[in-house]
Amino acid sequence: MFGIGVLKGMAVTFKNFVESYYKKERLTTIEYPEKRLAEKERFRNFPFLIFDEKPEDPRCVACDICAKECPPQCITIVRAQDAQGKPLKKPATFDIDYSICMNCGVCEEVCPFDAIFMDHEFELAEYGRFEDLNYTIDRLLKPKEHFMKIRPTDATRIEAELKKKENAKKAAAEKAAAAAKAKAEAAKTQASQVPDTKPETKPNEPAQPADPPAEAK
Amino acid sequence: MTHAPNVSQVDPALKSELAKKGIAVMKLQELYNWGRRSSIWPMQFGLACCAIEMIATACARYDIDRFGAGLFRASPRQSDLMIVAGTVTKKMAPQVVRLYNQMPEPKYVITMGACSISGGPFKEGYNVLKGIDRYIPVDVHLPGCPPRPEALLHGLMKLQAKIDHQDIEKTEWYQKGLKREFPIPEFGPNGLLPPYNPEVWQPQKRKEITVPA
Ligand code: SF4
Ligand code: SF4
Repeated sequence: MFGIGVLKGMAVTFKNFVESYYKKERLTTIEYPEKRLAEKERFRNFPFLIFDEKPEDPRCVACDICAKECPPQCITIVRAQDAQGKPLKKPATFDIDYSICMNCGVCEEVCPFDAIFMDHEFELAEYGRFEDLNYTIDRLLKPKEHFMKIRPTDATRIEAELKKKENAKKAAAEKAAAAAKAKAEAAKTQASQVPDTKPETKPNEPAQPADPPAEAK
Repeated sequence: MTHAPNVSQVDPALKSELAKKGIAVMKLQELYNWGRRSSIWPMQFGLACCAIEMIATACARYDIDRFGAGLFRASPRQSDLMIVAGTVTKKMAPQVVRLYNQMPEPKYVITMGACSISGGPFKEGYNVLKGIDRYIPVDVHLPGCPPRPEALLHGLMKLQAKIDHQDIEKTEWYQKGLKREFPIPEFGPNGLLPPYNPEVWQPQKRKEITVPA
């Protein structure tokens, strides 16, 4: 019969129309200020600086790599100096102009010290442009717990890597210290032994620098 | 910019007591501001990728209509809010200013995204305006590239807060002799002429960076 297809189509439309009032999967609206979507871990918005224990000691060493790599050039860093004018390994000022930043994440990628990461904060609308949107270091610094909270996977991986690096560094330092100590001791024993040892032991010593402590015992 | 809080002189206890009986007491100004803030009709125009987020904000998921700002008008004569969503090229800037001039008062501007605030990634380019605030006054700046739909809603809420704090007697558009025609820049051989409107924008003095000892 002519028109039956139209009626069938209308029935589908009507069913969908009615369902859109009570079916849960059809009520898609997020009532934003009260309810929010669950934050995706990989969401990234604006960069922030991370500090380990105290905000006075940020991880950033003011190496200026991120400022050089930032595509729209919105990072300005001034390195801190001590009283003698010797540059310190931390920033005196660190400004990111959020009105220019394009959320690209290059700064996070290039930072060799894992000091800058992308944040989840997005409620950043401001009335003023120049002062309000220029984020200075006191607004950028956030503790590492914050990073762990917003991006646990990345944070765990990076913390583990940092720990490994630190341990390796410590081990190397210990080894170096032991070697230095051994050398010093060897020199000492050598100096004390010089008068009463025979001359033929001497050529052996430089070949085994790690051994003298054992010999000295 | 600071806003004086718009406090009612009616005793809040009495007000809530009356509200329970179904009587709303408020100053004319509060009623006026409530009306304004609940029906901000944006102009339907987008310039670049931020416009996609603006469209997403208007769709069912975020539904900008919950704020009374869902009626995107195709004509500047019927709109209150201009969402400058996207890169303002120098070719487009005169049109944006012209549209702003055609909007009836009161009118508001939200710059959405890095490009319209400051030129963003194209700020060093030859063909992009370094921020629409060189030609028209901007109420809310919304950073991001692009800002997500919730961020636009947050910007809209900020604009509503600003409207709430406006004083009906002191607002610009009720002052005598106000004529707000902003000069439309010309596209000359070396970019736009004039490069900015000195009424609304002045070159910022470069901040001297001093190293603390
Ligand atoms: S954030 Fe990283 S790359 Fe940038 S200056 Fe600090 S240490 Fe260097
Ligand atoms: S996210 Fe990109 S644009 Fe923003 S500060 Fe980092 S490098 Fe610069």
